[in-house]
Amino acid sequence: MNVDTKLMQKKPTGSRMGKMSNETFITLFMIVMLILVFGIAALVVPNFYLPQNMLNLLANNWFIVIVGIGVTFLLVTGNFDMSVGGVIALTGVLSVYFCQGANVSQNVLANGLGLPYGVAVALALLCAMGVGGLNAFFVARLKVPSIIVTLGTAMLARGIAQVITQGAQRNTSLPDVFGFIGTMAIPATTIKISVLVMLILVFVAFIFEKKTVPGRRTYLIGANSEAARLSGVKVTRHLTSLFILSALLAGITGILLASEFKAGVSNRATGYEFDALVVALLGGVSINGGRGSVLGMFVGAIILSVVTSASTGLLLSPDWQFILKGSVTFIAILAQRFALEHRKV
Amino acid sequence: MNSTSQKPTRVTPDRSRDVRATIKKYYIYVVLLFIVFVFSVVKLGEVEMFGRGHFLSPDSVVNMLRTAVPVLTLSGAFTLLMISGYIDLSVGSAMSLNAVVFALMILNGVPFLLAFPITLVLGVILGAINGYLVMKLRITPVIATLVTLLIFKGLALLIVPDGSSAIKSIPGKPMPEWINDYARHDVLLGLPMAFFVAVALIAVLVIVQRKTILGKYAAAVGGNRTAAELSGINAVKVVWFLYILVGVFAALAGMARASYMSLGDPLSGDNMELTCIIAVLLGGTAFSGGEGSVAKTMVGALIVISITTGLMTVIPAYWQTVAMGSVLLIAVVLNHLLVREPAK
Repeated sequence: MNVDTKLMQKKPTGSRMGKMSNETFITLFMIVMLILVFGIAALVVPNFYLPQNMLNLLANNWFIVIVGIGVTFLLVTGNFDMSVGGVIALTGVLSVYFCQGANVSQNVLANGLGLPYGVAVALALLCAMGVGGLNAFFVARLKVPSIIVTLGTAMLARGIAQVITQGAQRNTSLPDVFGFIGTMAIPATTIKISVLVMLILVFVAFIFEKKTVPGRRTYLIGANSEAARLSGVKVTRHLTSLFILSALLAGITGILLASEFKAGVSNRATGYEFDALVVALLGGVSINGGRGSVLGMFVGAIILSVVTSASTGLLLSPDWQFILKGSVTFIAILAQRFALEHRKV
Repeated sequence: MNSTSQKPTRVTPDRSRDVRATIKKYYIYVVLLFIVFVFSVVKLGEVEMFGRGHFLSPDSVVNMLRTAVPVLTLSGAFTLLMISGYIDLSVGSAMSLNAVVFALMILNGVPFLLAFPITLVLGVILGAINGYLVMKLRITPVIATLVTLLIFKGLALLIVPDGSSAIKSIPGKPMPEWINDYARHDVLLGLPMAFFVAVALIAVLVIVQRKTILGKYAAAVGGNRTAAELSGINAVKVVWFLYILVGVFAALAGMARASYMSLGDPLSGDNMELTCIIAVLLGGTAFSGGEGSVAKTMVGALIVISITTGLMTVIPAYWQTVAMGSVLLIAVVLNHLLVREPAK
């Protein structure tokens, strides 16, 4: 359905000309929601409207946004990826382990493989993609529901991270270069490289999604995977690439986070898979319709950011964040459905 | 749609299929025996067979069964829900919330006989909320129950006072000691009340699944919802009821856990949904619903319990997660090989 309207937009004819796709409609709807939520927050929370705070709202969620890109694409095809949190932890720990000096200390947790940083990062990212490949094998080949598989690989990935760190973390005997990319700021600003990476990735993903053939095929698979297969789309291969992409993005996040803290912590990113899912849903990604966009997810991430930071500003206890995330998602799902149903009646 | 591989509807009996059906029927018992065997011989150098510290020593078995109560109860009801093709990821959070509420009531002097039914009612409400979101508002089960997972967990964390990790004795207000009576105190053969309650309820569930119309309806909805509805089954009611059933069993599991640990821990149910999924998949319930067995899920749950308990005696605790993840993936593969009809 969605794809149809999209195609028609490209060749505008007659009365359909200028009709927005549902996707754009929902994204705009969520932007309006964002402005509303922000307005309310600015009224109740002191100093919320300050430019510095607005910048923080954009920048502080960079890891969720990067991970959210992969999760969004998979969600568009009707699949979940709950392994991203585990992959972040695994890649972070592995990059530390590969990079730590070999045989430098009596302490097991201080000894690594002593590889150069670049090699360590490349290997860690490869391992992340391996987890993605495992997801893809189970979901695309064996046709096992993605929710079950990715919860399992999440445990596997986090479990390996725990084994390597003996349930704790590794943070000693690291070369100085390890801490660079995570903490470095763009010259003359306070914006971290990670935020820049996020912006670039969102931009690339946006172009991929709107303007490339594989990008559009993602939506076709989500709308009707059987029809996609019959019209010549290699569904298995496409899903495999998306799972590997999602794991790779989680891996990049893991590398950046490990570098920022100069440590590989096995419990890093617990619950990020929920957050990534929540921001995608807030941004209007639908699990059963091949609808959703990276831009929407980005808006969703800012909404979540506004809500959580407003609740901190109101001095709510951190325990509230679970309820807030849950209720905001729930309201967003219902609001989006309502808006779509009552569109142009 | 022929969803069971044992139905004698095939015209040409296929030998390899019969072999597969036999393997499918009995493999789970073999797996359980194998795991028990491995854990009972692995430390024979250090401990005596059936002696103190041995995997199969009476103390160890009793302890395993006592800690297994929440998993056994919960995965029983979970099986019925999965047979109908639906899933509830919020069971762990629901269990935690129930445990916290139960412990809070006991701490504030509510007698057991009052706290017990109140917690059950809470379980009904939590299950009904899930059922409403999935069946009435038609939100995808995974997403709806993820939302409630977050909300239930948040509520459980909110109830626990700031600066404390659980509902437990505070200066001037000790947790009554009889909170242990339900899930720790010896009633018969060293096993507590909660264990026998669990066994009785599981027996009821097995009968419900095999002999009653609800079990048949659940399988019919899981096999093909449209066909089931066309033949007059009210799928909304059936599945909604199953969600409530899972909620009630989550309440029972939560109370057993709170009573066993003498405190209400808001994180005690974390990952319970995964344990249930592992038990259910090992038990041979199809991912997509339509067929399955509560009794076999119990065997699956025993396998999970044996592995978690057994591993703790052999390797450090930080291996636990990777072990469970591997077990889940192995269960998925076994399930794929044995339960699914090969693609045509």
